[in-house]
Amino acid sequence: METNILYTHKDLVEKSKSGDRNSQYQLYELYVNAMYNVSMRMIGIKEDAEDIIQDSFVEAFKNLTSFRYESTFGSWLKRIVINKSINHLKSKKIQITPLEHHEYHIREEINEPVNTIDIEKIKKGISLLPQGYKQIINLYLIEGYDHIEISEILEISNSTSKSQYHRAKKKLIQIIKTL
Amino acid sequence: MDDFEKHIRENKHLFDEHKVDKQKLWQHIDSELNTTSKVKTVKLWQSPILKIAATIIILIGVFSLTNLFTASNAENNLANQELKDIETYYKGLVSFQVQLVENSTKLLPEEKEEFLSFMDELDKEYELLKEEMKKNLNNEYILEAIVRNYKKRIELIENLLELINDSKKSNDNEGYIL
Repeated sequence: METNILYTHKDLVEKSKSGDRNSQYQLYELYVNAMYNVSMRMIGIKEDAEDIIQDSFVEAFKNLTSFRYESTFGSWLKRIVINKSINHLKSKKIQITPLEHHEYHIREEINEPVNTIDIEKIKKGISLLPQGYKQIINLYLIEGYDHIEISEILEISNSTSKSQYHRAKKKLIQIIKTL
Repeated sequence: MDDFEKHIRENKHLFDEHKVDKQKLWQHIDSELNTTSKVKTVKLWQSPILKIAATIIILIGVFSLTNLFTASNAENNLANQELKDIETYYKGLVSFQVQLVENSTKLLPEEKEEFLSFMDELDKEYELLKEEMKKNLNNEYILEAIVRNYKKRIELIENLLELINDSKKSNDNEGYIL
């Protein structure tokens, strides 16, 4: 089953490897919106996210021969988009990891049934998070990376990733409560 | 993972709220891919490193070809020289001994004729070998055969001379007994 998932769109990928522009376009069409949203969540600026998507697809198609189905094409591509987005934030000197000393002390746990929390409210809450917290929440909750992967992406330790994520989550819940 | 996290992960598709202008972005990607592939080909042809590499390969090719040619020539010369040496050495030896036999008064004319016809046969064989040698200069077997040919002649002469000496001895013995 797992191998089947890894070989999703294998035909298109193989034809794209040999430079078939039509297959490349089909792959692009399948993934462009998802990738654009990944980048938008991290960067938040339309024009910058578009540039990153263009660069990412160009790089992906140019280096497609190095893609060996160790992951799905989608997650391989997403990693390129995320790395480019992180580098973009770094180049603009935007904080990508949470500040170590910026502590939030929230003692009470939320007891409110979470299912009722409106997704729109969560979106708004995430957008109001400080940059560093926003990245880690996005990477963990929405992009679905685990802490090992996040530590690689953000170049932090595994334990930092875990502790920062928990702080970010508490902060997010606090913000949502005020909305 | 708590309910809050599960709730978000289960609804993560709802976070994909942005739509992108697919065509506009594709145009950029397409042109970028085109230019990079074009630049790549041009670069390959104009690369000075590649030019140098090609020159070196051609030079090596020419050098090894000429080398091969002169080497095989030298080899031929060597084989010819060897043949000449063999010829001069054995020819002298054989002609000297043939002379001895012909001058010998102790041999019957039939015996002489038999010996000379043998020598003629070996001469023919030798000529054949020489022809072969010209066709296939690099052949050690033919050189060896030529040497064997000469050795046979010498053996033949030696046998004959022995015969002469033997008859001499037996004559002496006879005389002595008598």
